[in-house]
Amino acid sequence: MAEALQKKLKAEVDKFTLMQKDVSKSMSARQKLETQLAENNIVKEELDLLDTTNTVYKLIGPVLVKQDLEEAKATVTKRLEYINGEIQRYESLLKDLEKKSDQHRELLSSLQQEYQKAQGLAVGKV
Amino acid sequence: MAAKGQMNVEHLGGVARLREEHQKVVKDCESRILHWKKVSGDYEALTERLQTLPDQLSYDITVPFGPLAFMPGKLVHTNEVTALLGDNWFAKCSTKQAQKIVDHRMKYVKSEISDLSKTMKNFEARVGLVRDLESISSVRCITTRFLTYEMWTLKAANALTLLIPQSKGDYVDIREDTENTSDIAVTKGKQRIAHKPNSKPKLDAVLDLKEEDEEKEGSRKCTTTEEELWARLDELEKLEELQDDHDRLSYNANMNGEDTSSLSSEEEKEGDAAPAVNELAHSEARASSGRKAEEAAAEEDDDEEEEGSCLPTIFFSHTIEPKKVRINTGKNTMLKFSERKEQKEHSKRKKKNGHSNGHSHHELHKITTPVDIYRLFVDVKNGEPVPRKSILKSRSRENSVCSDTSESSAADFEEGRRAVGRSFSHDETTQSDTSDGVTEEESPTAALLHRASRFEAFSGTVVEKEPMPSAVPYLTISPPALPTILERKQEEVAPDVAPPQQAPKRLSKFKAARLQQN
Repeated sequence: MAEALQKKLKAEVDKFTLMQKDVSKSMSARQKLETQLAENNIVKEELDLLDTTNTVYKLIGPVLVKQDLEEAKATVTKRLEYINGEIQRYESLLKDLEKKSDQHRELLSSLQQEYQKAQGLAVGKV
Repeated sequence: MAAKGQMNVEHLGGVARLREEHQKVVKDCESRILHWKKVSGDYEALTERLQTLPDQLSYDITVPFGPLAFMPGKLVHTNEVTALLGDNWFAKCSTKQAQKIVDHRMKYVKSEISDLSKTMKNFEARVGLVRDLESISSVRCITTRFLTYEMWTLKAANALTLLIPQSKGDYVDIREDTENTSDIAVTKGKQRIAHKPNSKPKLDAVLDLKEEDEEKEGSRKCTTTEEELWARLDELEKLEELQDDHDRLSYNANMNGEDTSSLSSEEEKEGDAAPAVNELAHSEARASSGRKAEEAAAEEDDDEEEEGSCLPTIFFSHTIEPKKVRINTGKNTMLKFSERKEQKEHSKRKKKNGHSNGHSHHELHKITTPVDIYRLFVDVKNGEPVPRKSILKSRSRENSVCSDTSESSAADFEEGRRAVGRSFSHDETTQSDTSDGVTEEESPTAALLHRASRFEAFSGTVVEKEPMPSAVPYLTISPPALPTILERKQEEVAPDVAPPQQAPKRLSKFKAARLQQN
């Protein structure tokens, strides 16, 4: 009985660790998105400050490609929106994962208690 | 005690971890600030370069070719700068425009630096607070670990209080308060246990004293504190022996008066003594004087009374006024803790009231054995103390050998029931605080009623003896002295106006009444 519980406990613990990994992954991705969002905001501001006399370049690999100011502005805006959408998606994903992990955590704790009881009983018996 | 010590150790560990975490944050802030400062330095250099660059149309420079070679060359188009806007976006602009961009960024960097410095200051303050808390808790942890339960008795408390010099006590006081406020500000979420103001304050004072020493020494090591504590404990023990008689009097009297309750309160004290948090909570309690949680050992009150003038630390931690415990029934004879205190006052300070409630407690100060209690509980009849047969039985009448009036006996009976039902009464706290002797000087009945009229802050009942069987009816309705008892009485009041016998034993009266009922 105790051994079966132990196996069960191990399985649950593994699942839980996997879940935690997912959670942390999505967290880090979200953080990256956040930094990108901040940067793109700065770029947008700078582009707004510029006038048409300046040429705007985009670095694609080792190449600086000339870009139109308006185009650049549009691109940056689009990118900003994309980033925002991604952040929201990741947020919802994170929430779900957290809920699941909490449930799992509760399950784990209950299992642990059972296991301890069983162990205690076994010790008592022995 | 071990469990509490362990809890203290855990607390201490938690506090240490908290401090470490805070320090981590502080370090992180520091590193970030350094980084931003570097960035701002770079931007300043860049500004300089941008300003000087367009001075010439072209510069002769030595151009680096790879990591090892250089080539002489020229720097042209000095006014054209390709600035990185972020996210792989570049913009060609003049130096002035570039300058604007740089200014923008400098603003951002400066704001970041200021934020970080604020956070760092905040956390530095927190670290300081946690450090203080740690020192306190470490001292407490050791103290509680080694102080046994006996130490927490009156004697120990007494000895502890006596040891503390006045000035230090005052200092300690203030420290406690600041600790409290700082904790509130930091909101560490410590539990403020509203523990009974028992022996804690004394320990707190000791702990604070030790803490003070620690601070003075500038070391927060537990080992040194431990040694100090041991030395202090030795001193305390010596003092305890010196204080033995004095303590025994109050202690025994107290014990006789409130067996279980005192024990329970002592246990409570013990329980409260352990957690480190209690100190702060206790200081809170101390700060809010006039707080009487429950029946605190009047011994402590007595001690406090004595030491109150010279040890404010202890004084205000307890209820201002010791409760008047009516152990005895009857109007005249009530062994109150305040009585004991008065005895002490009489013996030590001014002897304003020579008598109380017909008690001749001058010569009966020393209560060393339970027998002494009985000696105290005497009926003063015709100026001569007549020992009672039973303390709990109310005197049939005051100052008279026999009373045939049912009212008086009934009233006595009522009081007896009241006293039996409730070992402690808290109503005279404020009153007696101001004028101990005055209350004593009142006529017993008046005093009783007077007390009764006052509101009972705490109407808990510690039933030392099983109260009279509820089936026994009240012969008369007692004055509305104590709410709880009153309710009970009202429930049980049976208008059996059975003429009570004038037998001295109330039991017989009850029986008679019951018989009559039946």
